Amino acid sequence: MTLILSLAVAILFGSGCYLMLKHDLIRLLVGMVLIGNAANLFIMSAGLQTGNAPIYPLRGTVADPLVQSMTLTAIVISFSVSALVLALIYRLYSSHTATTLEVFAQAEEAQAEIDDQSEELVEGAG
Amino acid sequence: MIELPLAILWFGAVIFALLDGTNLKVAWASVAVLIAALVSIVILGVSVYQDGTQSVTAGGWAPGIGITLRVDMLGLVFAVLSISVLIMALAFEVMQDVRARVFPALVMFMAIGLTGLCFTGDAFNFYVFFEIAMISAYIMTGYGETPRQFRAAFTFTVVNLLGSVFFLIGISALYHNTGWLDMNLIAQQMPQVARNPAILSATFIFVAFSIKLGLFPFHFWLPAVYTGTRGPVAAMLSGALANIGTYGILRFGGEIFPRELEKSSMVLMVLASTSIVYGGLQALSRRSANEVLAYSSIGQVGYILAAIAVGGKVGFSAAIVFAVLNSLNKTLLFLSAGQRGVIVGTGFAIGAFSVAGVPPVGGFIGKLAVFRAAAEEQSIFLFSLFLVGSALSFVYMFQLYRRRQWMDESEEEHRVGTFAVIGVIAVTIVAIGIWPEPLLVLSERAADVLPGAAR
Repeated sequence: MTLILSLAVAILFGSGCYLMLKHDLIRLLVGMVLIGNAANLFIMSAGLQTGNAPIYPLRGTVADPLVQSMTLTAIVISFSVSALVLALIYRLYSSHTATTLEVFAQAEEAQAEIDDQSEELVEGAG
Repeated sequence: MIELPLAILWFGAVIFALLDGTNLKVAWASVAVLIAALVSIVILGVSVYQDGTQSVTAGGWAPGIGITLRVDMLGLVFAVLSISVLIMALAFEVMQDVRARVFPALVMFMAIGLTGLCFTGDAFNFYVFFEIAMISAYIMTGYGETPRQFRAAFTFTVVNLLGSVFFLIGISALYHNTGWLDMNLIAQQMPQVARNPAILSATFIFVAFSIKLGLFPFHFWLPAVYTGTRGPVAAMLSGALANIGTYGILRFGGEIFPRELEKSSMVLMVLASTSIVYGGLQALSRRSANEVLAYSSIGQVGYILAAIAVGGKVGFSAAIVFAVLNSLNKTLLFLSAGQRGVIVGTGFAIGAFSVAGVPPVGGFIGKLAVFRAAAEEQSIFLFSLFLVGSALSFVYMFQLYRRRQWMDESEEEHRVGTFAVIGVIAVTIVAIGIWPEPLLVLSERAADVLPGAAR
């Protein structure tokens, strides 16, 4: 079981990293969600004991409820952050009309050039 | 008593989220609520200073089972520092007109996160508060709503989300290995944990905090974000949010992983020295004020890490002194970088001298503390590293100051109120430089809290 879980975490994390290296923002977000889920699965596998569902009345040995509540919290947080990132991507799309990183890099360079020029003007005035 | 500051901030944040923050009265009310929270933290601090650490377990559970809130000197120093920086930056922005209705509420949510993680005694609860502070920071980076700020916010969010995931993995690994989430009990169990799992979880947690700090190999997001955001937001990020990194490394390194911290001191030293030299050289080659300050931050956190790597009481207290002064310096510089006028110019000069470590300004005390730590270690390498770093910071800060003085005087309109905020921070920095004893005593008391300081 440990082997299967660790393989699953590794595959999720690996695919997430692969997607994060892509140049498209949506893929980047999906990569982030995958990595977040790898972490959630990791927390579940960090539980101290396995067994029946920890619901009253308890039957036999029960699974560690603490990791489940931790995972639940982590899922809620990563869900809300994904929504936030999607909103950010939408705002970026509406101002740059693209969702690829190249466009943003170009915009960043153009901005740096404007900054440099204004600094030079100031130095010249001095 | 412990719950009071958190309660004030929590209810304040929820109420202000519903109100219109662009309204001047509402915005000033939010500053007042933050000040009320600061006062309650200070009152709590006085009793902790006199009677020692206080703790409370939520929901009437037995200690170790329920979530504990624990207030000690270390947490208090960082909570007071973070909230003060947030108050200054928010007051500054209110005087310049708030542009988004949620801005005051976001600052308050960040304040909850920062106070909460300083006051919590539970590792997973630490993560939750950390995320509250980070999520409000993600939104705040986009404040100003120009395309440039959205690009900065996106970079910031993606990189720091990865950091949070690393932290989460580190915490759950700790839970698996020790069977506890309460930091005290984890620390008691740690000596029984095998070496490799302990080092792995320590590494995960260290990487998470280094990303927040912007330490050398994890710094790549920092310049883009600090140059892209507005001055007050950059001040909050570097003055308040970066404290998460310092506090986290001190708390986890000094309390839970003292053994691993001592073993890896060589690695930390290498990272710290690269950070100092890299940050200094990059800052020297940059032209715009925010970029110089961003790279300067990378260099300055190197000192903090070097002091932590030296370890022991001297190292930890030096790291705390340096972190406090560094936060104040960066807040002052980021706030005054976009402004003109005689008072702002003087404030900027004080901040610049403080970063360079020129006496009698406060930064000198911070530099002195890290030099003392180097003397404790009797390391010529550390001494020369600090000397080179100080020389670099002196040169780039002087360059920046000279360039500023030559700038056009009438570029931005003057507002008397913003001068007051800059004046208050500048006077605080000078006062610390002239009368450093309170800060030194506080930092030693704070370092005493950590078991790792007692070697």
